[in-house]
Amino acid sequence: MRVDILNALDSNGILKECKASSLKKHIANRLYEVKIPTKKSEKYRYFDIEDFTSKDLEVVSTSKDKFKQQGKSLVIEDGEVVSAPEGVEVEIGEFLDVDNDHFDGLYYLNHLLTQNAIILRVKRDISFNIKHIFNKEEVFLNYRVVIFIDANSFVEIYESIEANSKDSQILSGYDIFLSRDANLKFFKNQTLNENSSLPIFTNYFKVDSNATFKYGTFDFAKSSGLNLFKSELHSNSSFNAMHLLFTTSEIKAGTISEIVHLDKSSKSNQMAKNILTNGSRGIFDALIRVTKAAKYTSAHQNSKAILLDSKSYMASKPQLEIYIDELEASHGSTTGQLDENALFYLRSRGINKAEAVKMLILAFANEAIEFVDNKEIANHIYVDFEKAYYGSSDIECIKTCHECEDMILGS
Amino acid sequence: MSKLEIKNLKAKIGDKEILKGLDLALEEGKVHVIMGPNGAGKSTLSKAIVGHYDINVTDGKIIFKGKDITNEEPEIRALEGLFLSFQHPVEIPGVNNAYFLRTAVNAKRRYEGKEELNAAEFLREMREIAKEIGLKPELLNRSLNVGFSGGEKKRNEVLQMMMLKPDVIILDEIDSGLDIDALKDVSKGINKLRDGKRSFLIITHYSRILDYVKPDYIHILMDGKVVKTAGPELVEKLEKEGYSSFEEK
Repeated sequence: MRVDILNALDSNGILKECKASSLKKHIANRLYEVKIPTKKSEKYRYFDIEDFTSKDLEVVSTSKDKFKQQGKSLVIEDGEVVSAPEGVEVEIGEFLDVDNDHFDGLYYLNHLLTQNAIILRVKRDISFNIKHIFNKEEVFLNYRVVIFIDANSFVEIYESIEANSKDSQILSGYDIFLSRDANLKFFKNQTLNENSSLPIFTNYFKVDSNATFKYGTFDFAKSSGLNLFKSELHSNSSFNAMHLLFTTSEIKAGTISEIVHLDKSSKSNQMAKNILTNGSRGIFDALIRVTKAAKYTSAHQNSKAILLDSKSYMASKPQLEIYIDELEASHGSTTGQLDENALFYLRSRGINKAEAVKMLILAFANEAIEFVDNKEIANHIYVDFEKAYYGSSDIECIKTCHECEDMILGS
Repeated sequence: MSKLEIKNLKAKIGDKEILKGLDLALEEGKVHVIMGPNGAGKSTLSKAIVGHYDINVTDGKIIFKGKDITNEEPEIRALEGLFLSFQHPVEIPGVNNAYFLRTAVNAKRRYEGKEELNAAEFLREMREIAKEIGLKPELLNRSLNVGFSGGEKKRNEVLQMMMLKPDVIILDEIDSGLDIDALKDVSKGINKLRDGKRSFLIITHYSRILDYVKPDYIHILMDGKVVKTAGPELVEKLEKEGYSSFEEK
């Protein structure tokens, strides 16, 4: 299936082409309105979306509903659940309750092509992992995960990707419903191997009243990929996002997002840090919208990029769309080289230039990795960063934490 | 014999000539003090010695331990044994203070053909020195200078100095912004490093630090040149008569 042909069809034609049930007519209607993105779509301007939409590939979707439920990981291999974590209710079933106002056509396409979503219901405090494995070659792999988190639950999720296939395209994403007073920490390690299949994750998050969502995405990719999300914030809720992108080859990767403050006293803080090299392109196209009902909102957004060569490029577009006066808001974007003063300071202590540059790059990344307050997860991410940066990881305890000092000194 | 000799140094920042043929020689084991009014070129001199990127040396030579280092990279100057304590130490978020210092110490040890310090040896020495100069232990594990007070930054400079054990130490307004306790602690660190071989160049506006670190020579720097060199008694004259008495008539 070539997904770009859907733009020539009406909603009935879209339903038929996607082999979706008539219960999904409202989703097809939305796709008809929003359209499959093209190179002219504003949000996809800096990403070669036609590489994704113009290939004629067999669509592979979730079907299997038998899996082991053990340990603390949800493992999804080529869209099929291989194992699910204990303590979480998991079902494979139809999901129709999509966001009716999502900005992304691929969000609706993903839902239309997903006959059965992977649905998780979390009803207690829990920490678990989600691992995606991509093995199938030359397919359009399509699946979707829906997570309901009950009120007052405290949940931590670490997501990682093992991309073994090369010529496939992956369309996936989450619908996450965070109930009142729930607390979710979701850390996504999106690092891909060289020449990996092209993944696009397109998400929808509903953060209910008094809920807190901490969302970190970490991408030290050698292959192109995108993460898109829309996050809706209700009264007194909080959404805190950090995105770290480090690219080492000529690829295009980044974040496209919309954070919508729907009700009063909601808070958002979004920070993107990008380190680009070898002619890569980073993308940060992020909108925060504060609606009329969202008085006393706090909305902050910032993007920082370091370009390590003249061929690399950062497409940074932080945007605020505000309809009220009673709020606190800021946004900013900086793109540049390393801080010369800092570099000189390190060199003036005898540290050679190459090592000083590395220290500053690690420091820039560290600030983002410190967003992860679970040390075990932070270490996984740090190791992946070191592998991407140095080619290997050689963590000494003094580099990453200092709790070992007393042990070393025996005091 | 001079440890550091500056001959006819001319230097610009941008298009403006700041140092206009400066001569200065630091004797081994001696404490030299440079005093001068604002804009005389004191900080430019310290930056020129350590190879700061802002400074364009247009003429003259900097000879350190007999070697011409005028065009050397800053890290080579540091590894050879030059140390500048900055007037405004830079804050570097994300670079751990202890990790940075260990990297610097081991870079110097490697350069000198010595074995690197292991983590335990390094930490023990660093903690001892920090205690001695009144630097809070929690600052060792924080990002370099980030959120440090003015006094803490200067103490951190002294910690680096004491760990790196340089041959020539340049202190650019180390006393600025320090309260009396911090000034005493910083002076204590400096005096501990006075071993009869190591040379010091203290750049200051005020004589306050000289109550705690006794100088051997005072140099008056005016308009990019050293216009007067004498013993510590020169400070008294300066206090009484101000810099105008040294202006070229």
